[in-house]
Amino acid sequence: MGDEVETDTAAEGVNQINQDELILQQQRQIEREISETTALVGDLEPISSLNSEYASDNVYLEKIKDLASKYKHVRRTRPDGNCFFRAFTYANLERLLDNQDDFTSFYKLVENSKNSLVELGFPQFTVEDFYDTFIEVLQRVGEIKNVNEAKKELHRLFNEQGYSDYMVVYLRLLTSGQLQKDQEFYSCFIEGDRTVADFCHQEVEPMYKESDHIHIMAASAAMNTGVRVVYMDRGNSKANTEHDLPEGTTPSVHLLYRPGHYDILYL
Amino acid sequence: MAGMSPSERRLQKELMSLVKEPPPGVTVHADLVEKNLLQWIINMEGASGTLYEGESFQLQFKFSNKYPFDSPEVTFVGSNIPVHPHVYSNGHICLSILTDDWSPALSVQAVCLSIVSMLSSCKEKKRPPDNAFYVKTCSKNPKKTKWWYHDDSV
Repeated sequence: MGDEVETDTAAEGVNQINQDELILQQQRQIEREISETTALVGDLEPISSLNSEYASDNVYLEKIKDLASKYKHVRRTRPDGNCFFRAFTYANLERLLDNQDDFTSFYKLVENSKNSLVELGFPQFTVEDFYDTFIEVLQRVGEIKNVNEAKKELHRLFNEQGYSDYMVVYLRLLTSGQLQKDQEFYSCFIEGDRTVADFCHQEVEPMYKESDHIHIMAASAAMNTGVRVVYMDRGNSKANTEHDLPEGTTPSVHLLYRPGHYDILYL
Repeated sequence: MAGMSPSERRLQKELMSLVKEPPPGVTVHADLVEKNLLQWIINMEGASGTLYEGESFQLQFKFSNKYPFDSPEVTFVGSNIPVHPHVYSNGHICLSILTDDWSPALSVQAVCLSIVSMLSSCKEKKRPPDNAFYVKTCSKNPKKTKWWYHDDSV
């Protein structure tokens, strides 16, 4: 149904409807500004580069100190609602390039994933589209012998919207598949009376929908990759809170979470 | 398919698949589409055993060059707009997968199936309660409406 307009006169109602367009226009404008100022995946920066965002904010400055005692670098990602999926995929592929065996077994995991998604009821036609691009990226970076050159190519591809967004979609589909495969477990984390499948259609598969704990649990399980999320917020403790997912695994990927956004961390 | 943009390539693939294996009651005007890949007209028959049995409708799909990341703009067009609680008399459809819940893993075919199912589950033919007001004031593009989705039971 269209807007519920609870006004008495038609004139006010008309204003209300026109605001839809204004709101959407403003949203577009904000989106444009974000994309013009932040790369999809940025360059390596020292942890201290975070200081400038919190000039006179002692709570955050203390926490950046704590962060700097454990991590050397941060790599920013574009805050467009896809940041977790983009950061996680990028950081994972980047570390896999350092280890041929891990890369090969990950490649096999991805190769097998398409059929499991189709078996779960995802339409073969659209899954293939995203799968093909994911595999293409793995092949393109995998065949470069020099690791540094391979990482450069990865960075280039992840900053090409065409490739980057296709990678994001495929991880969204894998995450959705993982949630549905293991729905008995994940249903405890979903509030309200939504089914796991509803949740996936509304909160996981659409682009730009932000990620929560449950997305991260499922994505790390689907990629068979442990991730440590370092939470940095305005809380009173001096140290940041760390969560390893799935619980008890050794993390291979480290992400920095600040309310609403994920970036990549490097030891 | 050289020289095509990613969205055109995807639409071309979708068109071929829809021509080859259309869902029941759905046909695409392939000749029209081949002239302009970004605007499709699709014929839809009311399913038998439903309130729309024997009726036929036309759907228009418009795509941007950001498809499939942007959802298609889908409206009923032509002389017969189905009378349904989620379909306005100007052809606009209130269906969450067309805006908020759109995902690039969906397709023209998935949208058609959702609309067939939306029509088939209808128990009483009537327009949305705010039809007159909405039709008078809305934008031409239904994607410019901030829809409130509720009442999934109809």
